[in-house]
This record gives sequence, structure tokens and C-alpha cells, in this order.
Amino acid sequence: MKRIIAILLLNPMSLLGVVLVSAVICGAVFADWIAPFPEHRGAVVDFSNFNQPPNWPYIMGTDLVGRDIFSRILYAYRISLLLGVVVLVIAVPIGVISGLAAGYLKGWPSFVIMRITDVFLSIPPLVLAMSMMGLLEPTLINGMLAVTAMWWPWYTRLVYNVTRAEKQEGYVLAAETLGASTPHILFREILPNCLPPILTKMTLDFGFVILIASSLSFLGLGVQPPTPDLGSMVADGAKYLPDSWWLTVFPGLAILVAVFGFNLIGDALRDILGAES
Amino acid sequence: MQRHKKLVLGGVAAAVMAVTHAVSAGGVLRLDEVAVGELDPGKASDYADSILMFNVYDTLVLPEQGGPGLVPHLAKSWEADGNSYTFTLRDDVQFQSGNPLTADDVVFSLERMQNLGQGLSYLFAGVESAEAVDGSTVRFNLSTPYAPFVASLLRLPIVDKALVMANLGEGEGEMGDWGQAFLSQNAAGTGAYTVSSHNPQEETVMAKHDGYFLDIADAAPDTVRLRYGLEPATVRTLIAQGEHDISSQWLPPEVLKALAGDGAQLLTEGGTGAFYVKMNTTKPPLDDANCRLALSHAFDYDAAVKMIAVTDDISQGSAASGAVPVGMLGANSADNILKQDMDAAKAALEQCQYNPADHELELSWIAEVPIEERFALLMQANFTALGFNASIKKLPWALFAEQVSKPENTPHISQLFVNAVTGDPDTLLYGMYHSGSAGTWQSPEYLNDGEVDSLLDQGRTAADPAARASAYSALNERLMAIAPTIYGYDRQSVFAASTRVKAPALSDPAQAFGLDGMGFSFRLMEVAE
Repeated sequence: MKRIIAILLLNPMSLLGVVLVSAVICGAVFADWIAPFPEHRGAVVDFSNFNQPPNWPYIMGTDLVGRDIFSRILYAYRISLLLGVVVLVIAVPIGVISGLAAGYLKGWPSFVIMRITDVFLSIPPLVLAMSMMGLLEPTLINGMLAVTAMWWPWYTRLVYNVTRAEKQEGYVLAAETLGASTPHILFREILPNCLPPILTKMTLDFGFVILIASSLSFLGLGVQPPTPDLGSMVADGAKYLPDSWWLTVFPGLAILVAVFGFNLIGDALRDILGAES
Repeated sequence: MQRHKKLVLGGVAAAVMAVTHAVSAGGVLRLDEVAVGELDPGKASDYADSILMFNVYDTLVLPEQGGPGLVPHLAKSWEADGNSYTFTLRDDVQFQSGNPLTADDVVFSLERMQNLGQGLSYLFAGVESAEAVDGSTVRFNLSTPYAPFVASLLRLPIVDKALVMANLGEGEGEMGDWGQAFLSQNAAGTGAYTVSSHNPQEETVMAKHDGYFLDIADAAPDTVRLRYGLEPATVRTLIAQGEHDISSQWLPPEVLKALAGDGAQLLTEGGTGAFYVKMNTTKPPLDDANCRLALSHAFDYDAAVKMIAVTDDISQGSAASGAVPVGMLGANSADNILKQDMDAAKAALEQCQYNPADHELELSWIAEVPIEERFALLMQANFTALGFNASIKKLPWALFAEQVSKPENTPHISQLFVNAVTGDPDTLLYGMYHSGSAGTWQSPEYLNDGEVDSLLDQGRTAADPAARASAYSALNERLMAIAPTIYGYDRQSVFAASTRVKAPALSDPAQAFGLDGMGFSFRLMEVAE
């Protein structure tokens, strides 16, 4: 573990990733102290200061009802990170368990699980999430459900492939010969060997979940106003391009920073863990 | 080498095409509006529909330019005798099909409007019958006195009976569908512009009608392209690049300001309507007038007026003084402007039977009108200060228009721009507040108030202008007391236009029509080559 952290910090690209991600997380966690106008995350309007280009104290300008864009970005990160965590916390266990089962068991259980994931994978992810959000009310919870629904099959696929390879290995055969139970083999023997690719994929996915959630709210299907959200900030500001550029550029950059940061770390982890296994 | 030759030839061809294109592009006017563009004149109600209607069809009368009153148009003259009105038609008018205009066409147009019962047909509910006295004389018989009757004829486009009868679609009775299928795609008018192609979601292309009965200036556009549903940022870029001529009025003030800063001219039209925040009076807590009063006192009128300023001189509106726009019959004077009053709001709320925290108000805004999102946020801040919960909902226009047909689907709060469709207060207020006209996009209040109904009836039946004025003043007072609507501001439409366009009816007050949409009579515009 120490070695992984050391490598992450020594490589300039992954170091940049660590810096960006730490900044995003710190900004979100300490938003109440960092944000110059914490009240601007709620139902507040200030028409004496609306549509201001970046200046002091509004370092990223104000939006069309006079709210500080910088403050709103920090609070929007909270929503994005929360969404990323919740989606992965739900999607990864479902995907891992179903993938292990499908990869290790033979016959119809494997067939049924993999065909169900095929059905989910055959629908373009954004279309699936959009149709779910169209049926349900557009709220944060439903947004998380929609993104989760499109995310777990990828983990099933990943774990299934690794399990298929691992179950031919000597240590699994040995455990079977010694009479170990199926759960023991799945979770104690095979799962630890699946962890490196899962971890790598989770780090990469964290950025993509943020991106997909932003796309959904860009389309008006995400968090509802006045709660700040990066995607809807970009969408609202897009009508005022190119004159009021700060309405779109800063929230857009904020998405870029978060996604880019998680991707850099994910790439580095893949190299490190891939080389290990 | 062979390949080079081909390239050169291709280049020459492209250059030739570019040159011919540049020549034929002279006289094209390009503008945009919100979808859907309803071409059937019997169904026209919103701004896009009105632009189509006023150009493809003609009416018996027109508004006087630069002042109140009406002037003859398809009619040469008219006289009123009690409840009957007799019009003498011009004899030199031909439809775009070549058929001559006769009194039969006028009768048919009225009957079609009444039978369809859509759009602004409620204006003609009190017309008992129309008869062709002879080929060029038509008489309307009203069942009850209706003071603004002649003005309402501004909304009776005359349809080519013979052409429609030849194209009836399937339907009940001998009139089939009254030509709805045909008229939603084709023109059958006498208007100055014919329809070359029409897609209600994308674009209507119109061309100058050579046989028009009035002279059209050579500089008037030969071709008009009316596009639907363009994004504000797209319009902003297209006008700046000289690819677009007149914007819709729905651009946010910042975009208009930016365009004016780039050298575009600002055209205006107004004085007959207002911005309304309409409350669904059938849904708790808004079925209690005290709760509605509380909201209307809590609304920040100053912020609204500040928000819509485009430049120092031009704004999308001015402060409201009551339920009737300043300058109209029954209006309060302009110095009685409405103001936010939180104390009055709290006092009204105490009288309300509901606890605000128990209810969530759904604040809707029309997706095609970005500034409404800001009003939604403003109201969210204002209303939560009173203790209400408020959620914001974005609704595309087409979906909104569908939802308001049922009170239970209609949001608590709808934001609308409504105009007096003939310039008379009757055509502004009757459609919004009479219990019989509830459930259209103009009337999401679903107001059902006996006093309002009777005052509206008095206003339309009284013959004496002073009696009408007092009825509308009383109505104004009643509406302010029961607050079905928050009267945001009196409205002026502002359009950004490239300098190659001259539109006197939208820039010179002495030539303005005082009727929304009529300023877009393309025959009166000029386009530089």
C-alpha cells in the first residue's frame, strides 16, 4: 500500500491527479468554510449583483440571479461526490457478487446472469438513465438509481472474466479438493485476486459517474433548482454564450478538473496494479 | 493532374453557385419564433400563429397605425344597426388561388371558426349568424350587444371557401374536418404572402403574393423564412454573423443587450399586455384567496422590473399598476405601481386557512423563455421567505399547453405573457378570467368568481365607453382583491434585428399598430439587398 502511494506521488501525472482530486474533495467537504457565500446554494437571489464577470469578491462571477458561481461550484461538488460514492457503493457489490457467481458456477445461473447484463449493456447508458428519469420524478435519489442501474453490469462483466480465468488456477483447485465451501472459494480465494482491476475501474468510474450525472442534469433530469449542480449550471449558462462566458466556463472546468483528476489516478493505479498481478 | 482538374472545376462550380446564391439571397427575411407554428387561421392564438395569420390571411378591418381605432381593409365600409353589423367588401380582392373574394367566404370563415371552437373562437361566441346579403355585402347578427365586435374582426381571417371545400378531409357531418388537415399545411388566404413550405416544428417559408390587392413596396422581402425553436445562443451568433435578421421577443435581456452592443437595432412592440404569474385557484393552498394575496404581496416587483432592462432607454416592460395594463380602459394610473410588502403578505397569510409549510408550490417556467427561470428563482426566494416550500419545474411550451387543459395537471404557478388580441381589454381579460374560458394557456387560474364574470359581461355589452371604463375599473379592483394572478409588469416586446431590415411598424410609434404581432406584416418591412 505504501509502495502504491509512493509511486502515485512520484509520477508527475498521477501526482497531478492526486492534487486535483484532493482539491475537489477538500472543496466539497469544507465548502461551508471555503465558500465566500455559503447561503448562495439555496433559494437566494440578489439582483443588485447579477450577471457579474469575475471580480472581487466573486472570483468566478455571479449567475443571472446574483449567486456566486464559485460558492455554488463547491456545493455542486458535494452533490457530485455523493452521487459517485452512492452509485459505486451500490453498483460494485451487486456487480461483484453477480460476476463471481456467474463466473464460478456453471450452467443456467451463469447463463441467466450474463444474459441479464447483456440486456442492460445493449441499451446505451445515457438512454437507459434518461428513460428511467423520464418515468420517475427527476430527483437526486432517482438520479442515483438511474446511474446505478446502468453501472453494475460493467462490474459483473469484469469480475466474470477474471473469475473464469482464476477458477482454473491451482490454488482454487486445491481449495476445492480440500472441500472448501463455495462461498469460501468465491470470497476468500477468488475475490482478493479480482480486487486490483475492480479498484482501478472504480477510480476511473468515479470520474465517469460525475460526467454522466452532469449530462443528466444538463438535460434537466438531475438535481432540481435551487440546489447547485454542475451539469445544470452549464446548461443554464449556455443560452448566454459567448457574452456571459463565466456562467458556463467555470462549471465546465469544474467538471473537467474532477473527471480528469480521477482518470489520472485511475490510469496510474492500472499501471501499478496491472504490473503487480 | 486529372485530379487537379477536377478540383479546379469543382471550385469554379462552387464559385458560380456562390454568386447566383448571393443574387437570389437579396430580399430574404429570416426570423424566428417559438414552435409550434400553427398555420390553420381558425386555431391561431399565440405569437407565432399570429405572425403567420396576419401575413397569409387578411381581415375585414385593420388597426389604425399610430393611434387607436380601426380602418377598413378587406371591407370598404361598415355600419352598425343595433346588434347587426353590415360590411361592404372591396371588389378587387383575389385569393392566392385566384378565386375572387365574396361575402360567402366571410360567412364560411366565421362558421368554420365557430364550429372548430379553437384558438380565439370565443371572440365570436356571441355572433348568432352571418349572412351574405349579396356578393359583396355581409351582415353579422349578434345575439347580445358586444361593444368590441368590430375590433374582434381583427381575429377573423378570411378563408377561401371554394379551395377549402375542394379539400375537405374526413370527419363527422357534411363539412368533414372543415379542412383542418388541408389548412394546417396549406394557405387559403388573400394575404400578401403565400406559403412555399411549412413544417410547424422547424420552418415556414413564405413568398410575396404578386396579385395582392394593395401595393407592396419592391423593397419588401421576396421570401420570408420563419424558423422555430432556435436557441438564444444560436440566434445571438447568427445575427452577429449576418445570417439572421430578426430575433424572437423571447431572448433574455442580456442577449438583446449584447446584440445591441454589436450594432443590431432593437425593435419594440407593446402596450397591450403584461407578464402574468398565474395561480391555479383550484389547488390548495391557492384555492384560498388570502394565500394568493400573501404571495402577490411577497413578489418582488422591483427586482422583476430591474431584471428586464435591456439598455438605459429600452426595457422589456414597465412597472404594473394593477390587473389592467397602464393605458388600457379601466387601468390605474402609472404612478400607482405595485410594490413588495412583506408585512401585508404576512397579514394575509394569517387569514389563510392553510399552513404554508404543509404545501409545496410548484413553480413552472416555459422552457423556451429563459428569463422565466429567473422569475421562478425570484419567486422561490420570495415565497420561501413566507414559509412556503417551492419547487421549480421547467415545461416546454407544447407540454404546458397540454397540461393546462385539466385543473389537476395545471401547476400551482404558471408564468405567461398575454396580450389583448385585438387591443381591447375584453380580449385580454375575458379569455383569462371568465369562468367559461378556463383551461386554456391564457387561463390556468381556473378562476370561477361570479362578480368577475358579471363585470366581464358588463364590459363587453355596455355600449357607452364611460360605462365600459367603470366596469373595467371595478373589475381591476375585484381582481386585485382576490388575486388570481400576480401582475408582474406591463410588457413591451423587444426584438433584436440586423440593420439591413427596416420595420417602421416596430420602430416608429406613429406607424405602430397597437396590436401584437401585426407589426410583423412583412409587406410593410424593407430588406436591403
